[in-house]
Amino acid sequence: MKLLVVEDEPSLLQSITEYFEQEFFVVDGAGTYNAAIEKIETVGYACIILDINLPDGSGLQLLQQLRRFKKDDGVIVISARNSVQDKIDGLNLGADDYISKPFHLSELNARVKALIRRKYGHGVNMLQSGNLELDLLSRTATCSNQPLVLTKNEYDLLAFLLNNKNRVVSKQAIAEHIYGDQADNMPSFDFVYSHIKNLKKKLKEKGCDDIVQTVYGLGYKVAV
Amino acid sequence: MSKQLLQRTTKILLVWLPLILVVCSLVFYILMRMQAHHMQQKQLLLKQQNVWSAFIAKRGNIERRIACEYEIKESNVSMQPSWNELSDTTLYYAAENKNLPFQLLTKQFSWNGQNFQVTTFVSSTEISHLIIKVFLIEMVILLLLLAAIVFFNKKSSGTLWQPFFATLKKVNAYDITRAQQVLLPENTGTTEFDELNKAVNALVGNVNAAYLHQKQFVENASHEMQTPLAIIRSKLELLINQPDITEKAALLLADITEANDRLSLMNRTLLLLAKIENNQFPDTGQINVSVLLQNVVDNFEQYYENFPQVETDISENVMVNANRSLIEIMVSNLVKNAVEHNIPNGSLLLHLSATRLIIKNTGMPLQTAGEELFERFKKESHQTKTTGLGLALVKQICSLYGYGITYRYESGWHTLTVTFL
Repeated sequence: MKLLVVEDEPSLLQSITEYFEQEFFVVDGAGTYNAAIEKIETVGYACIILDINLPDGSGLQLLQQLRRFKKDDGVIVISARNSVQDKIDGLNLGADDYISKPFHLSELNARVKALIRRKYGHGVNMLQSGNLELDLLSRTATCSNQPLVLTKNEYDLLAFLLNNKNRVVSKQAIAEHIYGDQADNMPSFDFVYSHIKNLKKKLKEKGCDDIVQTVYGLGYKVAV
Repeated sequence: MSKQLLQRTTKILLVWLPLILVVCSLVFYILMRMQAHHMQQKQLLLKQQNVWSAFIAKRGNIERRIACEYEIKESNVSMQPSWNELSDTTLYYAAENKNLPFQLLTKQFSWNGQNFQVTTFVSSTEISHLIIKVFLIEMVILLLLLAAIVFFNKKSSGTLWQPFFATLKKVNAYDITRAQQVLLPENTGTTEFDELNKAVNALVGNVNAAYLHQKQFVENASHEMQTPLAIIRSKLELLINQPDITEKAALLLADITEANDRLSLMNRTLLLLAKIENNQFPDTGQINVSVLLQNVVDNFEQYYENFPQVETDISENVMVNANRSLIEIMVSNLVKNAVEHNIPNGSLLLHLSATRLIIKNTGMPLQTAGEELFERFKKESHQTKTTGLGLALVKQICSLYGYGITYRYESGWHTLTVTFL
């Protein structure tokens, strides 16, 4: 699947590209408005990750342009934090989702996957790892076909980890994923640890041991 | 001890003017005496001449003596030096039957080979009375003058200083955080006040510019820092996903990630503060604080392992007109503050009414003064986990909406009160 990243900061562009290449996407990068327009005109992308602030134009203009070309590529807008207006404008112009800067790549990854599932999913609303299965539509989880009873936070956490399969996801990223901007107000992310502990216990009861692994002090990962 | 300018000028006037008046009166008195003396001399000389002319004209056949008027005596004595000089004497005045003060002048004349001593007298009673009367009148006039000077000084200073007090009032009302323009009139009619107002106008202009500069600097700096912070974060995420990472490296990376996240948070908060200062939260609406507060508390109870014992007294449907995110930030920072600076197994009391929000928590007393609590980066102890900006943010939001905020510590309880009205 093809992905376009429009981001004027080369270093950030490179990070995003590298991250998504590891997820087996074909990633194109564009650092300017004009470079992006050129790419959009010629290639169809599964998802465009679009920074609003570009040196030679606005990401919002690009979004308008895209709709004028009658393209329905999925778009995730990157807006500056606290800029509510950018979010509203972006969504009004047909963006599928938005994410505030600075973001975690794991969060962006989860958003892109969710978008692709929604847009091109063809009913694939299942996340699966080993004998663990999550149905995203009915928000249910099963382990070896046995239903798992999870709290909302535990479910979101598990889905987030499955979306970032084989990747280390930091405590901070998990906290922000579950609580959004509220995470700013948290003194520590120790509660992530207790969520994980409960989750691991529940998984173990149903025979899904070792699906969620702890990676030193860094974070957690779901490994296959 | 400072006194009012008017009091001070009045005091000066009241001390010095009477002194000057006394000296002036003395001089006046002396001058008047001299003038009177001169006048009497002239009078006596004239009388002398008249008497002598009459004496010659009548060939010596006039009265030789009229009491208290003149006296002509034949004399063989030669000129005395005391003659031709005024001298005082007392004469018996029959009509009043008493001795009265007189002045006399004696001169020697010659007629028909005979010397005559002519002495003329003039009463000095009238002239002394006149001097006293004039002097008294002068005293009354001077006293009236003194009273008038003090009175008019008092009266005019009110009007004269009016531009000054107007300036003072405006300067007092000046609030730098609102970047107000203070436009003082530069044509008050008094040069000094014109200059004062001109100087104040210029000063306020400079202060506003400097303040704006500082605010913009904070905002721009935080803004510029966002990108490198985002880059660090993304590189760290790539790094922690490297396959052959050692435990030691992982622990280092965990610390770096945490520090970087704290830096990001601090930076975001600074940016938020700057944005509130620059009034960039125009969207306001009716917000139900009762619901919001309850949600915040419920959420926080999940985050914290050792959440204090909560007691709530929340009136229903307390509404404020404000920006939702700002009120959320205010309430959650207050609650968070009360939880973080609590003691183990402590308590938290929440009271919300239509007029105010009171948050009380148990805790150790502050090391610093209470007012400093609301300043940026004022932290009790070195709690590395906090940004030191939470209450500064609360204060900023309160001042944006004109809410009052006070802090009190009493027998183990910290109390923060936000007054909505």
